[in-house]
Amino acid sequence: MSKFTRRTILKVGGIGALAAGMPGGLVSPRALAEGQRITVTAFGGIWEKMIREVMVADYEKRTGNEASVLIGGPQQWMAQIESNRENPPIDVLMNTIDLALIAGRTGLAEPLTVDKVSNLADVPQPFIDIVEGYGVLFTYGAWGLAYHERVKNPPKSFAEFVEGTIAGKWRAALPNAGYTGTPQILIWSLADALGGSVDNVDPAFEAIQKMKPNSVFWTGISDPLIQLETGEADVAIYVDGRTWAHYDSGATWIRYINPEEGGVMQPAIAQKVKNGSDAAWEYINSLLSPGPQAEVAERLNYGLSNSKLQYSDKLKERITPWEKTRFPPFEKTGTAQREWIERWNREIRA
Amino acid sequence: MTRLLDLLRNPADLLLPAFVFLFFVFIIAPIAIVVWMAFSAQAYIGFPIPAYSLKWFYRIVEYEPFLNSLIVSIELAIASTIVAATIGVPAALALARSRAGFADGLATFLLSPISMPQIVLGFALLFYLSALGFGVSFTALLLGHTLCGIPYIVRTVLGVYRSQPADFEEAAAILGANRWQVFRYVTLPLVRPGIFAGGLFALLISMDNLPISFFFGSPDTNTLPVVLLSYTENQFDPSIAAVSTVQMLLALLALVVVDRVYGVKHMGAPS
Repeated sequence: MSKFTRRTILKVGGIGALAAGMPGGLVSPRALAEGQRITVTAFGGIWEKMIREVMVADYEKRTGNEASVLIGGPQQWMAQIESNRENPPIDVLMNTIDLALIAGRTGLAEPLTVDKVSNLADVPQPFIDIVEGYGVLFTYGAWGLAYHERVKNPPKSFAEFVEGTIAGKWRAALPNAGYTGTPQILIWSLADALGGSVDNVDPAFEAIQKMKPNSVFWTGISDPLIQLETGEADVAIYVDGRTWAHYDSGATWIRYINPEEGGVMQPAIAQKVKNGSDAAWEYINSLLSPGPQAEVAERLNYGLSNSKLQYSDKLKERITPWEKTRFPPFEKTGTAQREWIERWNREIRA
Repeated sequence: MTRLLDLLRNPADLLLPAFVFLFFVFIIAPIAIVVWMAFSAQAYIGFPIPAYSLKWFYRIVEYEPFLNSLIVSIELAIASTIVAATIGVPAALALARSRAGFADGLATFLLSPISMPQIVLGFALLFYLSALGFGVSFTALLLGHTLCGIPYIVRTVLGVYRSQPADFEEAAAILGANRWQVFRYVTLPLVRPGIFAGGLFALLISMDNLPISFFFGSPDTNTLPVVLLSYTENQFDPSIAAVSTVQMLLALLALVVVDRVYGVKHMGAPS
């Protein structure tokens, strides 16, 4: 428990203390933290609510410890840990795959083992290998095709999606270079679907160039939902969980299809921060526990990692099985993405 | 009526009013749409709005991080403005009357926090303040926001003070006032418009700041813009519009209070 909160600082005249040169008394709350309180991270909105009400609740009930939830994003958290390596302000990191790989390789995260996290035994090995053992896949989305019901003959594959867009059968919504997932969900995905590879993305760039006249591009993750509703676009490259969440919120016109090639796997990775509290292992155990994971699936419509998890009938129809997704070679796409973005800016300029 | 007929006879005279009208529409329309969306009963942002409701305003109270971060933002804005004024006003006063060759250079240097991308400043501050032992804390956040507030206060106070001749202070000193009395009864009233104007800028800039706050968020110190950014990335409902509406109302309220207490029209250099 922090002894000095912002309220305390304000109440006792921390400003005066600061002016008097007493920074030592106002150091990071983490430095004053008691042993068994951990800080975990969550994305805002429904994610944060889920983490707090399901995962933190399970962790606190099982261990009697406390967990504080920090809302934000992976870039912010990584910078905070990097700047305070010896005394990190975060114990469990929820990360994107590209940053999770960096965290593992640069010593920001610790490797996970079954003796520390018992539920790891029920997690398929690819979900551990994906981050080279420095964390574990907690949940995943599949990036396939979302479309408006006005499209009577939607594409069944990415190849058909590209052909139909070029032919003007529908208008497409594509992520632009400003969206962090674009190297995987668009460039690699189309290259892979059209006969290329991570080492040869020419087919993807040629396809995007040809699709451009019949496409709109988006940066924000919620943009395609507006573009589909307003008619700016008819078919969008989009993720399954959000599509179904939007459907459940009243947008019953939206549909989702997992293309024949397989949607692109987008994982959320849980990592134990190096030099963080050891109590964090038990929190990761909660993240991987089948009971709480079932509740998360119901709330988020995303796939989860424990193989013992039983989805409800409704979710079985919605959640894309991980075996039917494609795993981008994340290590290579992470390395190549700077070059791809430069090429995008030269050739696509959208 | 006569004026209208004149305008109709000379349509060219309509151009300026029409331009001004369109300019205001261009500026106000996005804000009006945000406020309008806040009253939507729909569970996601979309047009047309099928029905109206206040439920997204209730959501601000129901979703704890919104309210907590709003309180942090308000506390931080007030505290950082006070600290920035405490540092910035004496600095501006010293620089305004200084005959030293470096005074102009130093005055320009004090503007540097707003002349570089704030995301770079935030990133650099995170590592710098962490090395100093502040880590991710409210103190660090306060220092960052103070740094961003100082240029606004220095610039406005400097402008106001330089526009005043030194005669008033010299006259007070000749009549027997000591340094404190000169400052309290002559200098301070002269620069008060600059302090208010700069302080108001610093307050509003702090409330709205994302790039600095982004790096210093902790479970206890996340500010509203950081929470809003994370929320919009993961949820697509009109509660964002409701929070923005409340934030706008608070800013408007601050302006009204300042106007009532001091008068916004007095925020220029005294004539």
